[in-house]
Amino acid sequence: MRDSRQARLILGTLLAAALVILTVDHRAGESSPLTPLRSAGAWLFGAAEEAGGAVARPVGGFLHAIAAAPSAQADIERLKAENARLRSSLSADRLDAARAAELKRMLGLAGLGGYKVVSANVIARRGQPGFEDAVQIDAGTDDGVRTDMTVLNGDGLVGRVVHASARTSTVVLLSDLASAAGARLEGGQEIGVVHGVAENGRLLQFKLLDSTAPIERGARLVSFGSHRGAPYVPGVPIGVIEQVESTPGQLVRIAYARPYADLTALDVVGVVVQGPARDPRDAVLPRREGAR
Amino acid sequence: MTAVLVVPVALLLQVMLVNRLPLPAGGVPDLVLLAVVAVALIRGPGAGAVIGFFTGLVVDVVPPTAHVAGLYAFVFALVGYLAGRGAGGRVTTVALCVVLAPLMAAAVGGLMSDPRVTISTLTEQVPVTVAYTMIAAPVVIWLATRGRRQRYEI
Repeated sequence: MRDSRQARLILGTLLAAALVILTVDHRAGESSPLTPLRSAGAWLFGAAEEAGGAVARPVGGFLHAIAAAPSAQADIERLKAENARLRSSLSADRLDAARAAELKRMLGLAGLGGYKVVSANVIARRGQPGFEDAVQIDAGTDDGVRTDMTVLNGDGLVGRVVHASARTSTVVLLSDLASAAGARLEGGQEIGVVHGVAENGRLLQFKLLDSTAPIERGARLVSFGSHRGAPYVPGVPIGVIEQVESTPGQLVRIAYARPYADLTALDVVGVVVQGPARDPRDAVLPRREGAR
Repeated sequence: MTAVLVVPVALLLQVMLVNRLPLPAGGVPDLVLLAVVAVALIRGPGAGAVIGFFTGLVVDVVPPTAHVAGLYAFVFALVGYLAGRGAGGRVTTVALCVVLAPLMAAAVGGLMSDPRVTISTLTEQVPVTVAYTMIAAPVVIWLATRGRRQRYEI
C-alpha cells in the first residue's frame, strides 16, 4: 500500500480521461475525433484477425464439433435407426414385388387353364427329416380349401392338399416319394404316373404305361386329371423329360422329368378349388423356346 | 513486458476464437478482463490502472465494436487499480474484479443510455458471462502470472 496515493492519483486521472473520451465520443457521434483511432484499430487488428482467422477457424470448428458432439451422437443414432427402417422396408418392398410377380404368373396360368384358384403363401416346409416333402400354406377350409385339391404355382404343378385345417393346409409336393400323379405326354394320349424320387425335388420319375410308345428327351408332361378333378385337375404342366431309361422287357418305360415348378423354392401357390369345365389339354404348357 | 504480450494475445483470442464458441447458455468468458487482472496482480495498482486504461481503449477501438469509446477504458482502469491494490486474498480479488467489471460496464452504459443495457441483460447475460469468466479465470491467471513474483501472498 505504499504507492497507494500515487496509484489513486493515476486512477483518478485515467478515469477522468476515460469519462472525457466517453462523453466526446457519445456526443460527437459520427464526427467523433476518435474515428481515426477506430480506423487505425480496425486496420491493425483487422489485419491480425484476418491472418489469425485461418488459424482460428479450424480450432473453432474443432471446438464446435466437440460442443455439438452429444447432439451429433443422437443424430447418428437417429439416422442409423432410420436407415435400418428404410432398408427393411425397401427389402420388404422388393419381396412384395417378387411375390406380386409370382402371383401374377400363377393367376395367369390358372386363367389359361380355366382353374379357379385360391392363392396362398408357403409358410413352412418339412424337408428331409420326416422323409416327406410337404409344405404348409396359409389357406385353409375357411378359404374353401379341401383335402385332395390340386396345388400349382406360376410354373406348373406343385402337389396336392392332404390335410386342411381352418386357416392352414398341408400340401404334399410332387417330389414326395409317396406321391403319385397321373400324367400325359404332350400332344398325344400316352399316359403314365409321376412319382417323386429322392432328388430334392430336382427330378421326377415318370412311368409310361405303354412300354412301346415313343418317348424322348424334351417331351413335356401335363397332368392327366383324376376322377372329378381330385386330387389332380387335368392340363397342369408338370415337367420336361430329361432322360429316358432303356428298360427292355419291362411292362413300363421309366423316364425322368425336371419339374416346371421349382419345388425347393416355393412361395406363392394356388389351390385349385374348382377344376375347368373342359380339359385344357396342352394349352397351359409354356411356349416352346424358339417357337412363336 | 508481460502486459505488452498478454493483453494483445488475450484480445485477439477473445475476438477471433472465444467469441465464436457456441458455448451453452450463449455466453463466453472475458479473457481480456482476466488478462488485465493478471497483469495488475503482478504490477500493482498504479501500473494496473494504466494498463487497464489502455487495454480498455484498445478494446474500444478493435473491430467489431459498437459501443461508445472510453467505456472499457473506464472499466478496465478501475479493474486494474482494484486488482493491483488487492482486496483480501488473491482469489477474492479476482472474483471481485470478475463480478464487478460487467456490472460497471452496464452501469456506465446505462449512464450513456445505451439501449442494450436492460434488466434482462443484467439478469440473463451478465451472470452467464461472469460464470464462464470464473471458470476460465484459474487457467488464464496462472498462464499470465506463472514465474512471477507475487506482490502479496494468499
